[in-house]
Amino acid sequence: MTRWQAAGLVGLAALAWTAWDTGADPIRLLRGTPWMLDFIRRSVPPDLRVLRPALEGAVKTLEIALLGTAAAAAVALPLGFLSARNVTPPAVFYPARAALNFLRSIDTLVYALLFVAAVGLGPFPGVLAVVAYTTTSLAKLYSETIEGIDPGPVAAITATGATRLQVLRFGVLPQVLPLFLSYILYRLESNIRAATVLGFVGAGGIGFYLQTYLRMIDYPAASTVLLVTIAMVMVVDFASSRLRARLV
Amino acid sequence: MIEVRGLRVVLPPDTVALYGVDLVIEPGERVVIIGRSGAGKTTFLRSINRLVEPTSGTVRVAGHAVTGTDPATLRQVRRQIGMIFQQFNLIRRTSVLTNVLTGRLAYVPVVPSLVGRFPARDRAFALECLSQVGLADFAERRADTLSGGEQQRVAIARALAQSPSVILADEPTASLDPALTGSIMGILKRINEERGLTLVVSQHQLGTALEFGTRIVGFRAGRICFDGPPGKVTPAVAAEIYGEEA
Repeated sequence: MTRWQAAGLVGLAALAWTAWDTGADPIRLLRGTPWMLDFIRRSVPPDLRVLRPALEGAVKTLEIALLGTAAAAAVALPLGFLSARNVTPPAVFYPARAALNFLRSIDTLVYALLFVAAVGLGPFPGVLAVVAYTTTSLAKLYSETIEGIDPGPVAAITATGATRLQVLRFGVLPQVLPLFLSYILYRLESNIRAATVLGFVGAGGIGFYLQTYLRMIDYPAASTVLLVTIAMVMVVDFASSRLRARLV
Repeated sequence: MIEVRGLRVVLPPDTVALYGVDLVIEPGERVVIIGRSGAGKTTFLRSINRLVEPTSGTVRVAGHAVTGTDPATLRQVRRQIGMIFQQFNLIRRTSVLTNVLTGRLAYVPVVPSLVGRFPARDRAFALECLSQVGLADFAERRADTLSGGEQQRVAIARALAQSPSVILADEPTASLDPALTGSIMGILKRINEERGLTLVVSQHQLGTALEFGTRIVGFRAGRICFDGPPGKVTPAVAAEIYGEEA
């Protein structure tokens, strides 16, 4: 038996154990099918009387994602430069990179729980949660972009006697800006999806309505909310990917 | 004008690029550095404005210390040293004029420059530098829409915008069509003759080097192995600089 075969066997055994431990059972899934069909049947037709609150929730979700992404895009800028190996001295670079990796391991929803506890219910803790997660993820993307730039213009600007900030502005920024904008739009797309569930933990937006109607077992209303969510995400994805295609 | 003493450069992790080089270049000289690739030509040029950090030895330019000086003083010395690169190293998505204006960065107020504002006097001077390389009409074009030869002329204008007393050019024609070599070297020669600017150019084409330089410095394996006028570069000297097969 080769080493690869042994590794394959160990991997399969580990996966089998996880299937047993999580109770993953195809039969149970099949047995549940009628209930899912029942759920869908009871969800149609969607209850359009809740269209107005659903749309209001969608707008709130869009606002949370937009404001959170914009603030994060700005806050991440200095962090991105500080955690890029080729423009920052090691004494700053290593702590900055470590802090980012630490903060980035926490998801938006977890941040939302923390901020709801800190500032109370509503869209504001949602905005803060989006800012917290997106800042670290954008800073990481920024710094990797900065590390991949052409060193030629940086050398040329340095050679003119420019200060460090001038070198960043003229040697680095023009090379990375289009990519940065593209990443920001990409984060905006994922943040809109992430923000749809922020309402589940009391952090505002359309998720609040979805959770409320599901708890009230009002499936036609819940399905209206779901359809509005899907439409919103699709529209934003479409617009954003069109914009991104023009940037790079 | 340029005074290099005992310059030793070890590139990380442990490649010795230069072994204690001594060279004094007088004002107005037109020096061509020749040698095989890897002989230390680029490292030598980049040590003069400390784009490469010398391991030991001293460099002085126009009477000012380059080595062992604080960052602010280093920037003051750097702005007197124009540099031209093999790959032009322009800011690609930016206008030609802005590229030339970057040559003024060490002269203009820092904060306005960061938002792209330059004093009218400096803009006028940048345009003047552009017309000296024959590109006055290109000011508003994006740098990456220009041909290679044109980009290198913009790079020369950027160096001129520094009002330098020295210009270093690292293989300025190596990425260009051979037909353009004469035009770029001609512009550099004219600058040297008309303004008395000290010029140090590395060049791997021996013919061009001998035609252009008033003084030839040959590098081999991190050491200077020849220093003299072009007329003294005999086939035997060339063989020593380039190795036996030349």
